[in-house]
Amino acid sequence: MSASLFGVLWRHELTSLYRNRVLVVLFSLVLVVLLAALWAGSSQWHTQQRTLGRIRAHRQEMQDSLVQRIRRVEAHGMHYPGFIWDDPTYAYNTARNEGPQYAVKAPFALQALAAGQSGVQPFYYKVYITKKQQLVHESEIDNSYLQFVGAFDFAFVVVYLLPLLLIVFTYNVVSSEREQGTWVLLKTSNQSIARLTLMRLGIRYGLFTLFFWAVVTPVLAALVGPAFLATSNWWWLVVAVSLYFAFWVALALLVNSFSLSSNLNALTLIFLWLVLGLLVPALLQFGLDRAYPIPSRIAITSAERDAINRYFERDGQTLTKEVFSSPRTLIRQASVVTPGMVYGYGVIVYKSQEIKDQATQQAERQLYGQIEQQQAALRGWQLMSPALLLQETLAALAGTHWQQFNHFSRDVDAFRYHTQRFFYPKMAQEITYRTFTVADAEAIPQFRPRVYADYHWLPIGPSWLLYAGITATVLGVGYRRLLHATR
Amino acid sequence: MLRLLIGKELRELRRTTNATWLLTGLALLVGLALYNGYTYYTTRSAFLRQSQQTTYEQFVSQGDKNPHLGAHFGFYAYKPTADLALLDNGIEDYTGNSFYLEPHKRGEVKFREVSDATALRSFGFLNVGYFAQLLLPLFIFLLTHNLFSKEWENGTIKLVLSARVSTGQLLVGKLLAAGVVVGAVVAVLALGPLGLLAAHLGLDGLVPLLPTYACYVAGLLLYAALLTVLGGAVSLLTRNSALALVVLAGFWLLGVFLVPRLTSEVARRTHPATTAVAFDDHTFHDMQYGVGNEGTKDQRREALADSMLARYGVRRLEDLPVYFIPVTIEAAEKSDGRVMDRAYAAIERNEVRQNRLVQLSALLSPFLAFRELSLHLTATDLDTHRDFAAQAEVHRRRVGRIVDAFYQKNTVAGNAFWRTVPQFAYAAPGLGWRLRHATGPVLLLLGWSVAAGGLLVLAKKISL
Repeated sequence: MSASLFGVLWRHELTSLYRNRVLVVLFSLVLVVLLAALWAGSSQWHTQQRTLGRIRAHRQEMQDSLVQRIRRVEAHGMHYPGFIWDDPTYAYNTARNEGPQYAVKAPFALQALAAGQSGVQPFYYKVYITKKQQLVHESEIDNSYLQFVGAFDFAFVVVYLLPLLLIVFTYNVVSSEREQGTWVLLKTSNQSIARLTLMRLGIRYGLFTLFFWAVVTPVLAALVGPAFLATSNWWWLVVAVSLYFAFWVALALLVNSFSLSSNLNALTLIFLWLVLGLLVPALLQFGLDRAYPIPSRIAITSAERDAINRYFERDGQTLTKEVFSSPRTLIRQASVVTPGMVYGYGVIVYKSQEIKDQATQQAERQLYGQIEQQQAALRGWQLMSPALLLQETLAALAGTHWQQFNHFSRDVDAFRYHTQRFFYPKMAQEITYRTFTVADAEAIPQFRPRVYADYHWLPIGPSWLLYAGITATVLGVGYRRLLHATR
Repeated sequence: MLRLLIGKELRELRRTTNATWLLTGLALLVGLALYNGYTYYTTRSAFLRQSQQTTYEQFVSQGDKNPHLGAHFGFYAYKPTADLALLDNGIEDYTGNSFYLEPHKRGEVKFREVSDATALRSFGFLNVGYFAQLLLPLFIFLLTHNLFSKEWENGTIKLVLSARVSTGQLLVGKLLAAGVVVGAVVAVLALGPLGLLAAHLGLDGLVPLLPTYACYVAGLLLYAALLTVLGGAVSLLTRNSALALVVLAGFWLLGVFLVPRLTSEVARRTHPATTAVAFDDHTFHDMQYGVGNEGTKDQRREALADSMLARYGVRRLEDLPVYFIPVTIEAAEKSDGRVMDRAYAAIERNEVRQNRLVQLSALLSPFLAFRELSLHLTATDLDTHRDFAAQAEVHRRRVGRIVDAFYQKNTVAGNAFWRTVPQFAYAAPGLGWRLRHATGPVLLLLGWSVAAGGLLVLAKKISL
């Protein structure tokens, strides 16, 4: 009975949706926005892959050039024909010139689905012993205005656009019966209206979701390769997105159960979309910014500069006097760069850097501590908005969440420290000033690129289980209301 | 008659529970937007002003140092908070505001706040600009979608048309009634920030801002009016509230989210930016090996040494009456500066092409046209940002020249010298400049207004 009823409803839904052209128009729209989003996301992913290829080639080129140049100097009795600041046998010179290595966060395939923080956080750094972490640009070159406009990716389509299309698909399931005069006919049926409505919405949800995944899965596999299908990230993503759609369908059922007009149903659902998708996140941001204000990076800079000034007032005076006024280094002369000058600058630079690093530690701890606090609070409050929860989940599963970039940044910090420990002792040897050999060049620390797509820090399972519960409750309430609907 | 019509519409609106809820929600949001904008503006402007003073104080009190080493300690040029950032903070969080003034390193504006924010930032920052660009249109469409269609749906259209009222009066009366409510919201949006600015800056501080502020309010009024007319026209044309709502909400969705984001992706693909690695490679190569027949860095330095020896008639660099190292620094600063200028100009040209494409999409979206106008008038746009970066770079080179000139004769600089280096101060361009850069958005807004009016006339012809 139930199966045959389902069959009847299935045929009825397909026919009516096809006849009033909703199915064709809606699914064409879904197809177009999905294809556009997948194209945009995957081309960004390919661009990053190409950049990483270029980095690998660049690294090899620099390494070969460094080794050759050192060999040439050694073969000519340590005579370097060019400018002394370019002589690679000085550890300080190499640390500035060919020494800095790239640290890379390898892009995960699912990044093609959610840009997350990838637009505003660097996915590679050139790691200098002096500067904290730096490229010529602070991050990859990108147009601030376009970043402000925002990315058109799968996450944006799923979080913002598709709920609206789902609303169009479901807002008048009950009200249209009343408006078309078929309600009375339905009341005389031996099936409850609540049950019929639930099944009809179930069919529409199934159609929508199946069509959605039937487009996304093969297109994404064709664009970035099918390897992602074997990751748990992908299957969690399927669960989260499907549940998100279910939530909106359940909400539509609830709104339909209030016996309002189609017009008011649409208005209410759009209003809910606005509240859950835009206003709750805006209010949360307002609250979290006040509860855990994030200090400006300018504060870090000021702390660093204060420490340097304090240092030069005391110990630094002795050091600079030694370096600048020593007859060995001859820096005061200021006309010819001498080997002692290269050494002296190197010593000043690394001493200053140690002071700066110590000074910035506290300010950095405060900065990252506040961001962590906001992130932690967000993990709890995100349940207030399914849009926010899904956005956070998608970013985490795609490896583009702030946490993952922060993890990468901390790894880069550790790598920088390791690189400093490699260069500093060599820069501090003043016996000959020229200590850097081919063996040293080959031993320069390298960063091992890896994918940062681990998501254990985000309670994805419990959060979505809770949302499944909320969805079921909303469905249950809507169903019960419809059971008792009389008009 | 017109007054009667307006009164009837407003009474009807007041009696509808939905409208009461809508207006209450709206009032809360406006309050929040004002509070958000005010705290953003006041805390940031004070912080940046103080930071500018601090960084300079640190520089001029660094004590005795080798001049070049001291110049490397440098100081920062901070972009002051825009004078109307209380209304709209635009792209400020995406550009950064700190420009390091250090020798032979072209400055780059750093510390973008968005890098230190949670994902919530991508949902937008609720201030007057955000409210006007995103929420006000939706409010207007919710208010106007059934302005005319309800008469057909309630079956009262014949009654209304048979009364002593012309179709023109009906049209104007209903639009004016909606206009009264929209106007009240716009008045709060316009007067609220003005009051807050007056309280913060005092009258003396407020007066210079008034012409720009008036232009902003004029733009906001035009924008709100065109959206009201558009909502009314669609309601009249469709004679069906549900359909009108779907059309207007769809238009809002397309115009606010879909069109700009999609165009920005297209702009990124059609005019791809260079990567930081490639930028690094090219600039390093050009600086090291020279452009055209400039020669390598070593060759240029040797030529410079030869010319200095010849100029002063000496045979050794040590015998020059000036120190040679600062001379080489100055020469390198000039040639490297040319390389970096070319490289940055190429990036800017590409960004201009990208932005033009996105801005052109305002042909499809009045929301985007108003956003552009808002960014330009509040000086929180990319053009103003570039102006700041250009002025900071000029200052960086100026500081470099002052230090190099001193270094040619002295090997130690004390605080007395550091104090001769001027502080950096930036003032955003005035109203004329802002309006010139906002010509496109202004024309587009006017074009949209004409189009909305045309649609209303067409709808009247068809439906009334």
